[in-house]
Amino acid sequence: MNMRCSEGFTIHKKILEPFLMIVLIGGFSCMMIQKSYADPLQTLRAALPKQIQGWRAEPDDRVFDDETIFDYIDGAGEVYRAYNMRKCLSRRYTSPKGPPIVLDIFDMQSSEDAFGVFTHDQDGELVDVGQGGLYRSGWLSFWKDRFFVSIYMEEESVAAENAVKGLAKEVASLVSHEGPKPKILSLLPQEGLQPRTTRYLHHSILLNYHFYLADENILNLGPHTKAALADYKYGEENARLLLVQYPAGEEAAKAHMRFLKTYLPEADAKRPVLLENAKWSSAALKGKLLVIVLEADSQGLAENLMKEVISLD
Amino acid sequence: MPNKKKVITRRDFMRASSCVAMGSLMALPLLGKSSAKETVKSRVVLVREKDVLDRTGQIRPEVLRAMLDQALMALFDAPAPVWAWNHLFKPTDVVGIKSNVWHYLPTPKPLEEAIQENLLEVGVQEENMDADDRGILGNPVFKRSTALINTRPLRTHHWSGLGTLLKNYIMFVSWPFKYHGNACEKLGAIWQLPHVKGKTRLNILVMLTPLFHGIGPHHFSPKYTWPYCGLIVSTDPVAADATGARIIQAKRNAFFGEDRPISPPPLHIAAADTRFGLGNSRTEQIHLIKLGWGKDILI
Repeated sequence: MNMRCSEGFTIHKKILEPFLMIVLIGGFSCMMIQKSYADPLQTLRAALPKQIQGWRAEPDDRVFDDETIFDYIDGAGEVYRAYNMRKCLSRRYTSPKGPPIVLDIFDMQSSEDAFGVFTHDQDGELVDVGQGGLYRSGWLSFWKDRFFVSIYMEEESVAAENAVKGLAKEVASLVSHEGPKPKILSLLPQEGLQPRTTRYLHHSILLNYHFYLADENILNLGPHTKAALADYKYGEENARLLLVQYPAGEEAAKAHMRFLKTYLPEADAKRPVLLENAKWSSAALKGKLLVIVLEADSQGLAENLMKEVISLD
Repeated sequence: MPNKKKVITRRDFMRASSCVAMGSLMALPLLGKSSAKETVKSRVVLVREKDVLDRTGQIRPEVLRAMLDQALMALFDAPAPVWAWNHLFKPTDVVGIKSNVWHYLPTPKPLEEAIQENLLEVGVQEENMDADDRGILGNPVFKRSTALINTRPLRTHHWSGLGTLLKNYIMFVSWPFKYHGNACEKLGAIWQLPHVKGKTRLNILVMLTPLFHGIGPHHFSPKYTWPYCGLIVSTDPVAADATGARIIQAKRNAFFGEDRPISPPPLHIAAADTRFGLGNSRTEQIHLIKLGWGKDILI
């Protein structure tokens, strides 16, 4: 059977029907792809509250990417870039009752990196929001899934503080899932681990911020590496431990060699080295994992801490 | 074959500290330049007037101008401010005023205006001066500048510990974030770039309402500023910054009720002295002249 179209062309049904089927299937597939790649930050933005306890959102949100973030928060933008920030959404709430409140939602692309950003500054009192929250002097921060959220009041007041905490809970409830913490954390010995000293990071600039090691990236840290830094206390003795996971054993081995050559040239395989500040340091490899006791108060502590990590499966 | 640069590690700092007396600063090797100021003290003027801010915290421009005049006269032992400005600038100079636009604590407009008025009074042409911050690399006045004036408010900073006069020149490079490593220790290197080197005639560190502690991504809370009502003026940016750093440290200790070091430590100030030879960071090498309001001066 043939079909006559308005232009006078004749299209055979046996061609038209399969053609229409292909168009329909293709269109449906495109819609599904578009849905699964919907911008998570835009999705969250659409659900954000327009008002909270008397504070009203200003009409225009601002969105920053990994280049324009510096225009917004100056050099501090480097922290978020070092954790693979994709975008930051900023919304301002105002009220005649109190100072403005600034909500910044950072899309870190993964829960691991959202957690990492959160560990960068762990001062303050714990608050039960998201997967971890802290409050100090006019600033509340929390992380949940791929998002790191910062809520800041330009001046402190009781009403503004209540609004900030209310807003935090509401934003956290809009993030439907929780995300995993970095797997490398499971390699940190638990005994003696000091609370709120664990940092997860990728870049040497962040390692140097928390523990200055060298003016060059002697551990070859970067987006491809995962590192955990933590403080330990055993009795009166303290230690600082660094774990770095590399994509391949060969890279870990190279980093190990470079670290020894640059930082512990006098090291031998068996014993920690006594540093100029009377602390002890050592480094060892376990497959793709480089383990460094950065500083320990005694040789025995350095050796035991190293053994603890190396012996973990 | 060129010499490979030695990596500076934490252990180098440990070694240097173990050789240097308490209260002195790190003695790391200079990068090919020796300090020209080893035996000459740097003059720094700290001028304060409690009435420079009104009850609402707004600047009184006439008081600020008077403070600047006093500082210049004291710095050069000049009988009048115009004498000091004449000493520093010629009518044929092209002057870039490196300001700072950080939203929460920018260089005050009345100060920029006072500087420009003084430059006009000594014959610098209006079209040959401009104040700028983030646009300086494309700014035509800065591009043909023969002289620079460096001015900004002192504040804590996420990466460098303090946002200082030395740090203010970071916009003279295309990729500022490349200088963030190790608490921005290498900022002094920017001052040796061809388009910067030797041009800075005057440094004014604004201490009207300094920020002594920062939190969060915005690094600002009014709670951590206070009306110090001062200006620090010098031809030596390192000495001016070192003086400002002492004030901030003293304020932090007083506010928190304990020793609370600036974090991260502003290593770039000492490094500008010992590694880049840009000025004097040690107290004993600074001749500090204090003028005006003395209450709670902190140093």
